[in-house]
Amino acid sequence: MKTPFSMLVTVAWRNLWRNHRRSLIMLAAIAIGLWGMIWMTALMRGMVDQMIDDAISTLSGHIQIHAPGYLDDPSVEHTIAAVADNPELDKLLHSPEVTAWSQRIRVPAVIRSERDVYGITLVGIDPQRERGLSFIADSVVSGHYLESVNDQHVLLGRKLVEQLETKLGRRIVILSQDPDNNIAERGFRIGGIYDTDLQATETTYVFAGIETVRRMLKMGSGVSEISLLGHDYRNVDGLAAEVRAVAGTAETSTWLQLDPYMASMLDVMDGFIIVWFCIIFLALSFGLINTLLMAVFERTREIGLIQALGMPPGNILLMVLVESSIMLLIGLLAGNLLSWLTLLPIRDGIDISAVAQGLEWAGMSSILLPAVKTSDVLLANGIVLVLGVLASLFPAWRASRKVPVEAITRIWQ
Amino acid sequence: MISISNTTATLAWRNLWRHSRRTLLTIAAMVFADTLLVFMLGLQFGQYRMMIDNSLRVFTGQMQVQARGYLDEPHMFRSIPAADKLATSIRNNTRLDAVAVRGYGFALVSSGARTIGAQISGVDPQHEPLVSSIPGLVKQGRYLQGSNSNELVVGSTLARNLKVSPGDELTLLGSGRDGSIAATVAPVVGIFESGNRDLDRQMLSMPLDTFREVFSMGDHAHSIIIGGERSQADSIAAGARAALPADGELVLLSWEKLLPGLKQAIQADFTSAWFMYLVLIVLVAFGVLNTMLMSVLERTHEFGILLALGVRHGRLGRMIITESAVLAAIGLLLGMLAGGMVIWYFRVHGFTYPGMEAMGERFNIPSVLHPEVSLRSLLPGPLAVFIATLLASLYPIWHMRKLRPIEALQTI
Amino acid sequence: MNSTAVSCRKVNKIFAQGELAVHALTSIDLDIASGGFVCLSGPSGSGKTTLLNMIGGLDRPTDGEITVAGQRIDRMSMSDLAELRLQHIGFVFQAYNLIPVLSARENVEFVMQLQGVPSSERRDRAMAILAEVGLQGMEDRRPGELSGGQQQRVAVARAIVSKPALILADEPTANLDSVTAEKLMQLMRDLNSQIGTTFVISTHDKLMMSYAKRLLKLHDGRIIDDIIQDDRQE
Repeated sequence: MKTPFSMLVTVAWRNLWRNHRRSLIMLAAIAIGLWGMIWMTALMRGMVDQMIDDAISTLSGHIQIHAPGYLDDPSVEHTIAAVADNPELDKLLHSPEVTAWSQRIRVPAVIRSERDVYGITLVGIDPQRERGLSFIADSVVSGHYLESVNDQHVLLGRKLVEQLETKLGRRIVILSQDPDNNIAERGFRIGGIYDTDLQATETTYVFAGIETVRRMLKMGSGVSEISLLGHDYRNVDGLAAEVRAVAGTAETSTWLQLDPYMASMLDVMDGFIIVWFCIIFLALSFGLINTLLMAVFERTREIGLIQALGMPPGNILLMVLVESSIMLLIGLLAGNLLSWLTLLPIRDGIDISAVAQGLEWAGMSSILLPAVKTSDVLLANGIVLVLGVLASLFPAWRASRKVPVEAITRIWQ
Repeated sequence: MISISNTTATLAWRNLWRHSRRTLLTIAAMVFADTLLVFMLGLQFGQYRMMIDNSLRVFTGQMQVQARGYLDEPHMFRSIPAADKLATSIRNNTRLDAVAVRGYGFALVSSGARTIGAQISGVDPQHEPLVSSIPGLVKQGRYLQGSNSNELVVGSTLARNLKVSPGDELTLLGSGRDGSIAATVAPVVGIFESGNRDLDRQMLSMPLDTFREVFSMGDHAHSIIIGGERSQADSIAAGARAALPADGELVLLSWEKLLPGLKQAIQADFTSAWFMYLVLIVLVAFGVLNTMLMSVLERTHEFGILLALGVRHGRLGRMIITESAVLAAIGLLLGMLAGGMVIWYFRVHGFTYPGMEAMGERFNIPSVLHPEVSLRSLLPGPLAVFIATLLASLYPIWHMRKLRPIEALQTI
Repeated sequence: MNSTAVSCRKVNKIFAQGELAVHALTSIDLDIASGGFVCLSGPSGSGKTTLLNMIGGLDRPTDGEITVAGQRIDRMSMSDLAELRLQHIGFVFQAYNLIPVLSARENVEFVMQLQGVPSSERRDRAMAILAEVGLQGMEDRRPGELSGGQQQRVAVARAIVSKPALILADEPTANLDSVTAEKLMQLMRDLNSQIGTTFVISTHDKLMMSYAKRLLKLHDGRIIDDIIQDDRQE
């Protein structure tokens, strides 16, 4: 009430260090708890970010435009007008909102070497436009990347090259189907080999110049898909609406719509992080309540004394809360510091290739980059502080409810 | 000696209840952590078992016999000769019916409208249902009948892309084992939906003998799939291995070798889970450490009296560790009890959380999980907490070791 | 001085001890004039402490009326009682008088802080009063670094620093040696005569009783003797 706050803080602070061992143990527990919260979320966020990055750079982009029906039946029949034939879309794609875009022809095909045959997806690309949009340009490990839309070479994944028992510079044959349902067949020389974290990508996609593929399939001027990047993968709905407005009858989808698994993964992650925070906090709270109860119990006489001297009961409650808040704040400070110090050495990523194949199975790559989100750190700190103060209400209430006589009978004698 | 340890235990027990609220809170913390650990471990093991069972059940089986090298580079010529005879002797050795022979090939598949490359599996319609769930997952039409009938079942996505339904004919064009052209025309009799994206998109099955004829396989095959219970995998493997020829050209592969990704996915998941468990255990240990330290510090005076009476430091240490042990044991028992009840409840009623359906689809697990109730889910968590608790009591003991009676007596 | 500092009317206090009702105080009628220096004496269990508790508003009577500084306190709320103690009553306890985490000066300042006295004034007054009780140079020591007598002097300093109308002391000399005890008594008596603070002191100490202006003897919860010894000089 009228008790000056500075006095409460002084008394609380000194009380905290009366039993420094106990307080230090509690501080350590709070710090470790916070560290566990921040680390776990940093690793999990890192994992999900990586999965999303991989998904986006494995051709999806932030937003894609397809012919209606293409997603269900990705065949050469379902095409949309190329960007050059849609001036409005062309204008939007060249606006500052779009950081990269490209158009592709993407059809199921069969690849044959002298030794073996496999089913693949043939992708005709615009090599210059793909730079910065997808993984392809950065993943070439031998030979060279495609040079132009008319490039006569193909780009194969490392694993597929192994399976076909062929190598760089050799010829392979690709078969697909043209719009009139005739088999289109063409020989290519392997101009380059790419390597990615995900084997499934390497065995699925074969890249060639888009105009070369168009001629092979005897297609008109259409394309299978247009893929584009905005500024932030978390915030694509606005841009998608603008694209939809100029895309005509074509279907516009965001990466979240294309990969509902990834979207649900993000939700599950957010939920899990809160649950994890609460679990850690609960484990902490037992110790916190216990420590404060012990502190209050030991000080029964003193609390009686200050109450006898005229401190209102509400202020005694406040005093215990101040004590626990100081403890929580120091513990959090230490925990944040500890997290920062331990995350620093691994900010360039942890090599987790020991379990890489398993992660690949789950659609992840083998370098894990921890992602510390400010909002997660704030949430962790907030949960510990707010719930911590709430948890100390019980010991504080116990302290303030000590009727003077009961407490003081211990003083008199 | 017996009477001494009895008094130690009695003393420890009474000392614990001098601050009943503190002791109860400490036990509550242990029980909380135990329950959580038991629940999460039970859930994990349950989930892993389902992931494994569901993955193996669809197509892979518990183990397979293949020609050496086929797993890494699946070429048609790496095949098993006289496969049917070998399968029969494996059946005899293992007393297990669930042994099926398969051949694999690749072909361009054409309907009137579409041509798509597809994986062809030649299966034995009599034994295939015992090792694979696909025959039971036919959503339209029926499964294959008879080992040499001319018919096909097709994966659901593949059928949609080919625009075929039961009754339509497909043309297959590929190359046989000897490099000759393999071609045939056959009607689709069924469409299966396994839930596995790759199989539904790429696979087409035909009867084994028809397959052998089309792909010039003779009596060869590519794989002998062995099913059965995973718990009996060792004895089944021994029986199967005994049937293999001694030249080492054929190998028996366990599911871990057939699906290395699955095994590592489980390991990766387990590793990250242990990080969480460790944080939890450490936090509980700190709580116990505080309780034990307090209960020791506030009895400094009392310990001084005991020391003055001639009690040795070692005896005091034993008393303190007995207290922790009693505390930890109560936590262990109640924790296992509470944890056991929780996982038993969810085993009966199932456990699910929002968003799990989509995850389940991807990882091929059902969206309702049933935790595994077993010693390996019940024991490790509570035991780790128990050990951490005992370790935590070492600090107070170390702290008391240099206590002099006279100083102790001056402490109030 | 004729005004009344404390007045009790038919005050009863019954403690329930299980099935048994213990009459700690029975029908106490008492008026203590302002400026009084009253000693309560009597054997253990006679009700001295209970009576002090009642007057100090630390406990409530079972029935009867208690008036302190002109206010009825027997039915006051906890917060109002705290406020009354803060403004009008000083306490000196037998032991554990001081807040262990605060220095001597801070202990003295504590009550003033609660009253909202500005910090510079607080400090000056605390230093002055500590000098007055003979603790110059020890202002920054914590209770653990002071002897029993010094601690009690700090307690007295704290009790009088905000000039309460009434100081209640429960066996203040019980844990002190006779020389220190006499110094403390002298201090209290001086304060009584110089400032006019009313003292109510429970004690076993014959010497202490001899300092009293008025001596009340209690037995089994009743006042059995009321002796005015105003002629007695310090």
